[in-house]
Amino acid sequence: MVGASATPGRVGRIILELLLGGRRPVYPVHPTEREILGKPVYSRIDDLPGDVDLAVIAMGAERATAAAEQCCARGIPFVIPVAGGFGEIGERGRALEARLVAAASRSGSRILGPNTLGILAPHLELDTLFVDHPRDLLAPGGGVAFITQSGSVGTEALAVAAAIGFGLRAFVGLGNACDLDAIDMVTHFAEDGGASCVALYSETFTDGRAFVEACRKASQRKPVVALKTGRTAAGARAASSHTGRLAGSDALVTGAFRQHGIQRALDEEHLFDAARTLAFAPEPAGPRVAVVTPGGGYGVLAADLIEATDGWPALEMTELSRNTEKRLRDALPAFASAKNPVDITASATDDMFVAALEAVLDDPAVDMVLCIALFAPPGITDALVERIAALERQRDKPLLLVAQRGSQTNEVLRRFFASGAIGFPSTHRGVRAARALWERALLRRRLGGEA
Amino acid sequence: MNAAVRDWLAGLREAGRPDELEVKALLSVWGVAVPHARRLGAGEALGEPPPGGPLAVKVCAADLLHKTEAGAVLLDVARDELTEAVSDLRARFPGRDLLIEEHVAFEPPELIAGALRDRDFGPAVMIGCGGVWAELYRDVAFRLAPCPTNEALHMLGELRVAPVFDGARGARLDGAALAAQISRIADLAVCLGDRLGQLDVNPIVYADRGWVALDAAIQLA
Repeated sequence: MVGASATPGRVGRIILELLLGGRRPVYPVHPTEREILGKPVYSRIDDLPGDVDLAVIAMGAERATAAAEQCCARGIPFVIPVAGGFGEIGERGRALEARLVAAASRSGSRILGPNTLGILAPHLELDTLFVDHPRDLLAPGGGVAFITQSGSVGTEALAVAAAIGFGLRAFVGLGNACDLDAIDMVTHFAEDGGASCVALYSETFTDGRAFVEACRKASQRKPVVALKTGRTAAGARAASSHTGRLAGSDALVTGAFRQHGIQRALDEEHLFDAARTLAFAPEPAGPRVAVVTPGGGYGVLAADLIEATDGWPALEMTELSRNTEKRLRDALPAFASAKNPVDITASATDDMFVAALEAVLDDPAVDMVLCIALFAPPGITDALVERIAALERQRDKPLLLVAQRGSQTNEVLRRFFASGAIGFPSTHRGVRAARALWERALLRRRLGGEA
Repeated sequence: MNAAVRDWLAGLREAGRPDELEVKALLSVWGVAVPHARRLGAGEALGEPPPGGPLAVKVCAADLLHKTEAGAVLLDVARDELTEAVSDLRARFPGRDLLIEEHVAFEPPELIAGALRDRDFGPAVMIGCGGVWAELYRDVAFRLAPCPTNEALHMLGELRVAPVFDGARGARLDGAALAAQISRIADLAVCLGDRLGQLDVNPIVYADRGWVALDAAIQLA
């Protein structure tokens, strides 16, 4: 930890605390301090032991550059200069960044950043994210590898997603990506067996063609979902052809992504919803959805969203088989609806809920189930959460939940997630997640990738 | 750069600024069908009209991007009206070459195909709902070039107008044949290399003999 600080609240102190929370030996480096947080301090990089795997540098751009050059010269394989003040500020910063690149290429060291939050990898107990972020809320053993060009979109949106359950394999802040870039990360996490989905936030491409090609290879192994921003309309306004003006409408990015197996998210909530679902749920065999709810209104609302024609790919409200309808009539009150959407009514009990879900999950005409779990009916108990999650764990069909419980909504969804069920706080987001699953199935088939 | 493209560039009447007939000639080298046509120079005598049915008469110029709006296109001109149509265009667009081509009867809707070189992704190809309102419909799908036929079929499936390829309201538009044309336009986009700016084929329509590019323009980079 180069630039370790004894002063609480300083970046060099926060990162040191985070690193000390892991299981690896940590060597603070500072020119004058003797001891920080009980650890002996090295006054010079050259005094460090020879077994250093990673150098994190928390100093201003000028000094960070000199420190990174020393780290590279010493053969430290990975270096993360966190500070800004490089290429993003103009000519002087670009010159410093060029020195980083030169140092890395001379020594073979790899640099992440500069201008980055660095890495959070729970399975490695490695965390350099010096801004407030959701460590406790993240589910252990999670599968999403999240690669982001923006630190703030990364941590803020991740915190919101984690509040309803999010399994993170790794967070990687690319920063200015002077050396390690999105392509390196996509390629790495495509091979990483612990990552079950790759999610990206990207503003600019240095080589868009190479990026989508790397994603295509990854997509043959696992879902890849990306939020691409910053396609300004300026290019479109300058174009004089129809094609040029229509390309500016962003349709070009959507097409290029689809062609390369990349699922496109349109905002940060969409990105995290899709990623947590794709990392978690099995692949559906088709687009046919059954809806089960104790609230008739929610059933109609879900049906409208499922059959809406503005999303791709199209989903269908399935027609339940006669055998399923009979099972539902036997299990549910006389005034319940045994047709899709299945309305258990407010006289629902936990048993009815489970019987209805079992019936639709068994139906060969059902590819996915959207279960809208409401806790207002008096016959519903808290035990329903675990019983629904148990059903989801047993089946190979996606069972997506929508749960609302006022101010406790997030807590309910987090409990579902901890029990092995994926849920959303609104019908719209649940249906969108179902669409993401079917989209993945279609894209994987097109690419001939692994299931 | 591809040899056919190099020859085509070298043979342009005005360097770097191909007119409609020249763009169509290039398209037909890549297997995209275009109407039978002849150029009529500004001072050239009309002579005998070509045999066959009705004709389209247009001003043939690289600098006239929106010919319909400018009144520079006369469609469905009968053979005995040709002399009058030519005089009309010559009066309003003096000194310009004209294009006399067969009037192609087609089954709607009109589609638009296109290609461009994108700053981030390089050559790309487009298909969509075309005609003069293409930019209002915004019913388009893009892919990066090259784009094989099966990928081009996926593009058609993404259009709102996609049901016309499956017989909606009795439509007989051949989606597989259009996908093959899209793939060829993508190949052309690749072969144009860094000379590709933007290419519009608008409209491309389905006629008795298959998909035909009725109008086309290229802006070279």
